[in-house]
Amino acid sequence: MNTKKHSTRVEAGMVGVALAALVAAGALVASGDAFAAQTQVLETGSTLLYPLFNLWVPAYSEKHGDVKITTQGTGSGTGISEAISKVAQIGASDAYMSDAQMKANKGILNIPLAISSQMINYNIPGLNGEHLKLSGPVLAGIYDGHVTYWDDPAIAKLNAGVKLPHQQIVPVHRTDGSGDTFIFSQYLSFSTPGWSKSVGYGTTVSWPAVEGGIGAEGNPGMVNAAKGTPYSIAYIGISFKKATEQAGLGEAALENKDGKFVLANQKTVGAAVEATAGKTPANERISLIFAPGAESYPIINYEYAIVNTAQMPEMAAALKSFFTWAINPKGGSSEHFMKAVGFVPLPPQIRALSEKQIAMIH
Amino acid sequence: MTSFRAWLAILAGALPASLVAVLLFITLYAWPAIHFNGWGFVVRDTWNLGNAYGSPVEVGGTSILPGASYGILFLIVGTLLSTLIALLLAVPVGVGAAIFLAEAVTGALRIWISFFVELLAAIPSVVFGLWGYVILIPILSHYVFPVLSGALGFIPIFAGPTGSGYGLLTAGVLLSLMIVPFIAATLRDALVSQPAPLREAAMAMGATRFETIWRVILPGTVKILISATFLALGRALGETMAVLMVSGNALNYLPQNVYAPISTMAAFIVSQLDSALQDPTGMAVRSLAEIALVLAIISIIINALARLMLVVWGRVAIPGGRS
Amino acid sequence: MATAVQSPLAPGMRASRRVFSILGWLLTGLSLVLLSIAMVWILEVVFVRGISALTPTIFTTVTMGSGGGLLNAIEGTVVLSVGAMLLSVPLGICAGIYVSEFGFGRWAFSIRFLADVLVGVPSIVMGYFGYVTMVEWAGWNFSVAAASIVLAIICLPYICRTTELALHQIPADLREAAYALGAGDGRVILRICVPAALPAILTGVLLALAVSVGETAPLLYTAGWSSYLWNGALTHSPIGYLTYAIWTFINEPFASANALAYAAAVLVTAFVLAINILARFILGRGRY
Repeated sequence: MNTKKHSTRVEAGMVGVALAALVAAGALVASGDAFAAQTQVLETGSTLLYPLFNLWVPAYSEKHGDVKITTQGTGSGTGISEAISKVAQIGASDAYMSDAQMKANKGILNIPLAISSQMINYNIPGLNGEHLKLSGPVLAGIYDGHVTYWDDPAIAKLNAGVKLPHQQIVPVHRTDGSGDTFIFSQYLSFSTPGWSKSVGYGTTVSWPAVEGGIGAEGNPGMVNAAKGTPYSIAYIGISFKKATEQAGLGEAALENKDGKFVLANQKTVGAAVEATAGKTPANERISLIFAPGAESYPIINYEYAIVNTAQMPEMAAALKSFFTWAINPKGGSSEHFMKAVGFVPLPPQIRALSEKQIAMIH
Repeated sequence: MTSFRAWLAILAGALPASLVAVLLFITLYAWPAIHFNGWGFVVRDTWNLGNAYGSPVEVGGTSILPGASYGILFLIVGTLLSTLIALLLAVPVGVGAAIFLAEAVTGALRIWISFFVELLAAIPSVVFGLWGYVILIPILSHYVFPVLSGALGFIPIFAGPTGSGYGLLTAGVLLSLMIVPFIAATLRDALVSQPAPLREAAMAMGATRFETIWRVILPGTVKILISATFLALGRALGETMAVLMVSGNALNYLPQNVYAPISTMAAFIVSQLDSALQDPTGMAVRSLAEIALVLAIISIIINALARLMLVVWGRVAIPGGRS
Repeated sequence: MATAVQSPLAPGMRASRRVFSILGWLLTGLSLVLLSIAMVWILEVVFVRGISALTPTIFTTVTMGSGGGLLNAIEGTVVLSVGAMLLSVPLGICAGIYVSEFGFGRWAFSIRFLADVLVGVPSIVMGYFGYVTMVEWAGWNFSVAAASIVLAIICLPYICRTTELALHQIPADLREAAYALGAGDGRVILRICVPAALPAILTGVLLALAVSVGETAPLLYTAGWSSYLWNGALTHSPIGYLTYAIWTFINEPFASANALAYAAAVLVTAFVLAINILARFILGRGRY
């Protein structure tokens, strides 16, 4: 009768609403791409490069309002993997991709945008104003547990006349896939054969178990961990120099290949660049670590933008325009930006190589 | 069966379907890792991705990075120890607070204070982590740990370097705060609903109020306390963000004392996913999926046990709207 | 019958009993005080620092690197929560109705059991599942779709449970009267029971909403992060959310970033607490 038909209609209606919601959602999902209007670029990765990108994006957006670049500091490892999987358009990385990764993922470019360096910071009450001298083998000893106290003979030998405290060293390492880990572990590998054999280098390494050693996320995490932990030591990118100075952390003078102890500045980084940049191949994947030369700073690296060559036309155009601006000495690589983060711009011949790679994005 | 009921039954199936889908997909994805890692996965204590910059090698039919070896013993130890400390702290405090609320506070005051404490359970994990990071770590590392190691230093686990504040005890304390409402609220309800004649008989025999509670009333609620503890345990096992922010993220390292950094399974998955993606052979991500699977299975077992106890022993009041 | 309780301070009691009782009250009282202090402390830190960081800029600008505002994050949290509710509310209520009204079969029992089990699975596992299936395999990348679906799976059991409990409160007489008048299953449930239980059901939905607003781990690998307002795309477009700001920006050594973290924390916490307080008022001191 009427009531039965009516109630059937009510039932069907209610259930239909639920199903319709699902179907509508499905349809929207399928047509998702159609809604994307402007060029939204996601940059993710290196926390070393992150401060520079945060300076670049507002400056670039002023003249190019149609391109919206989101920046993230998630670690070079994430930068590489998200660029490969196209989840992000620009993967920022202090580390170039490995041969295995290049083979497994054809069509990925490693484009240097600038040259950066890394500091070794420590937090020793009373000694943070001095620049303790440390070498690769000593650092390797600290990070694999052979050198456990600050007044260890190995450290004392390098720092004659400095009153080192008898306190346990707390080595801080990165837990995320990190370009800083990559260049630091490369420095250890190149300077200490034992480390090279047992641990090696990479954006992630199997850190030897050291009592009390702590892990931190990102360069900011390293700064905070070192700041809050007396007698700790950490490897921190140069772009965080202001933060480490504010935190009152000490910076170590590192032993380079020629046996001299140097701090990171424009001169020492420049010397290292001169000694190594000439060997850069066309695909620009090369390590600049442990460069020869009396004034060379041992931990410097190219800051890479990991990019997939295959992009949508508007995206390709946007990316090419951005990268060209970034490496231009009048644009992103002007002294204003470079000085703010302590980076060094690419030398002319490297810039030419980068421009060739940028042209390959289509 | 009417068509209405049939339709409902089908739509309701979304629930079991999602659980099955989650478990199925993760198992399928983790299968190569399960095969490669074998049973040693839970016994080895080193998580080693291998040489990311070397060329992949073939081991037993799967391609992996040279030197790769996955073991999660330190994660299991970290998870178990932090949860144990959390329970050791939460159960006494929860029982104590429940007793006080059920017996010493009455009327509107009891309702308001109970509710206030139950709200602890509603605060998101990441906010707990925020508080732990800015407040708990400095206070524990500067004031509490040195005193603790001084006073109890003769016991090995309390001795030794008090570390940086990021570690096992800090994570345990934070976790205990997150799970204590479950125990306190449940027990309070159970105490209040114990039969009055029991109480009156004890008091008529000259027992003080507290003796009545402790020796007569409380024993009757032990079963409920156990099931509530299991539920709390289940929640503590799955806690991610709060632990991630205060535990120190130890890698391949078993804690030597309570102040040492640790890693738990849930926090490890979050912090290592980026690194694992570096492995072009994919074995690292799949091993992480294996950890997720182990975690899911453990949580499901604990939760199922807790629910079983509920069915057998009586209902439990869950604060914060989370059943 | 008035029972004179033996006071621990009464004369003539054995010392051990006296000490035991007094100590017992002291310790239990201390436990409550400890808990209350912890709760107050957390609220104080979050609200005091958070409110002082709440400038109008927070609500009008998007996040710019390590500074700016939280407009994109607020919008993102809203979008993701609405998406999660759209998916989980219809299905959850259906499941709750089914389990409550027809809960005597094996199917209903397994649904109820699995709902309880699903609640216990850590949200990071759900997030990982979302990453493997939707972000990577289906190729959606970081997207509203992936994040909403994962949040919906997390919220589903809560809604099912609270709907079931709400319907259980409806007295059997109501149902029997309706059936006696000749109404079928659909009409009894949808026209009689659900409207009567609506406040409780809606409260359950609100509580699930509170859970989804507070989630972080599963969103890290499904929603990604975006410093811009949502462009309307359901796939291939990451989105921001408040809990990301709490997790990421508290770590930064820049005061502007920390301010964002506190502001996000106070917004999320205030919202979640408000819902819980509202739920208590609507439901009374019942179990929910």
